[in-house]
Amino acid sequence: MADIKISNLHKEFGVGDDKVVALENVNLEISGHVFVSIVGPSGCGKSTLLNILSGIETPTSGSLTITQAGAQAAPGYVFQAARLLPWRTVMDNLLFVQADKSSETRARCQKYLDMVQLGDMINIIRTSCQVVCSSASDWRARWRPMLIFMDEPFSHLDAITARSLRRELHSMWAATKKTIVFVTHDVGEAVELSNRILVFAQGGILKDDINVELDFPRDPSDEAVAVAKANVLKKFEELDLLAT
Amino acid sequence: MRVTEEELVKAARRKDLTVRWVSRILGYIVVLGTWEWASGRVLEENLLPGPTRVVQTAIELFNKGKIFSAFEATLTRIVLGVAVAFLVGAALGILTQNRWFAGFFKDAITIGLTSPGLIWVLITALVFGNRWYGPLSAIVLTTFALVTVNVAEGIGTLPKDTIDMAKAFKVGVVRRNRHIVIPHLAPFLFTGFRFSFSIGWKVTVLTEIFTASSGIGFEMRIAQILFRQDEVLTWILLFFVFALFFEKVVLQAIENRFFRWRKEIAST
Ligand SMILES: Nc1ncnc2c1ncn2[C@@H]1O[C@H](COP(=O)(O)OP(=O)(O)O)[C@@H](O)[C@H]1O
Ligand SMILES: [Mg+2]
Repeated sequence: MADIKISNLHKEFGVGDDKVVALENVNLEISGHVFVSIVGPSGCGKSTLLNILSGIETPTSGSLTITQAGAQAAPGYVFQAARLLPWRTVMDNLLFVQADKSSETRARCQKYLDMVQLGDMINIIRTSCQVVCSSASDWRARWRPMLIFMDEPFSHLDAITARSLRRELHSMWAATKKTIVFVTHDVGEAVELSNRILVFAQGGILKDDINVELDFPRDPSDEAVAVAKANVLKKFEELDLLAT
Repeated sequence: MRVTEEELVKAARRKDLTVRWVSRILGYIVVLGTWEWASGRVLEENLLPGPTRVVQTAIELFNKGKIFSAFEATLTRIVLGVAVAFLVGAALGILTQNRWFAGFFKDAITIGLTSPGLIWVLITALVFGNRWYGPLSAIVLTTFALVTVNVAEGIGTLPKDTIDMAKAFKVGVVRRNRHIVIPHLAPFLFTGFRFSFSIGWKVTVLTEIFTASSGIGFEMRIAQILFRQDEVLTWILLFFVFALFFEKVVLQAIENRFFRWRKEIAST
């Protein structure tokens, strides 16, 4: 579990005519064992927010603190596009970001590779890294951190694989005390997985903060889930986010 | 009996190998055969000694220890020259990441890339005579820019995404350099080295023809002055053999060992 506190967060890229406001004065708190989804049209600053939270980008102004049991948190991050080292094997890519490379860690990596059906690929060298990107996104065995950022991890997958991985993700989240911040442009996916949905609009503006109070597990064909999804979509319409 | 797919693939590969080697050996047989035939028929034998004669001469020279000492002298020059060219070139490649240095060196690098080695050989021969750093500076001047361009390209294409990924996972700077930056730069350094070696090799022999008092180029010139055509051809042949060996065996082995992943990616 981790606590995130963001106040007056502002991020701009470029200067003059090239200036782009990626995040506009965002105020936000996320804490405890929650699954938070961030939805919004593309270009509304979702990836930028995760990049700032993970320390890759620095904000133009504003402040943020991320703590985990009072100390600085070490989050895990599943990127929107795969970021792999093509000269390493699949397993060595996973181990690269692990501080401890014991057999226990290996076994854990193996477990998640099996989950994404890449288990028998770990010994096939290098090329397979590319296969990982194309077949299973950058979904990786980086599960020790108690705070995880995921940037559209399932958007490259076929519907069936995505569905089974969503289930796995949910049960993993439910079984541990992890805090997950999950970016998606799929409202259905957000409703299925999260306690809370943050709606962003173009220009990096946080428009709405919706609590989804339904029991887990949520089956997408379940009526209550369908209704919740319709309600969220209705809010989108009200906010004029579906236009264009 | 059913033929499995694996057997078919194997058979195709065997056929490939056979064709490749038979054609290669045929090439040698035809060239050497024509040469042997032409010697004494098309041209007088002392103008064009045949391959058997050249091999005899090579054995004689070898027994006198001349081949070893000439190669030793030439290779020492090349290794030194390429090493210095590499250091200078890489340093410039790093410096030119800065816009000021980039502008400062831009035209020098273009000239370095385009001017033929002969120019530098003549200039350094004039300036340094037969002092040891003459050939060295000719090699450096001819090849440094190749290293510079490659290093600059390597640095310019550093995978920011992957480095950011490592930062996000709190991978320290030493491991980031060791496992991302260096493996990324390695093929660029290798290409720079490969070019600078193959050009440095030619330039060295050329400088030796003009100024040196040892080495393959020097031996060639002496043989030519003394009108020993068989020796001239021997040196030329040895030159070819060594170049082939270095390119096909040494560099290829390095490439296969360290850069296999690039080929595998290219083929997916
Ligand atoms: N490194 C960057 N340089 C310049 N502009 C950027 C950069 N990263 C993102 N942007 C701009 O910021 C805005 C938000 O981008 P991003 O966070 O990637 O959106 P999303 O993930 O929601 O699709 C976009 O207009 C994008 O063009
Ligand atoms: Mg994005």
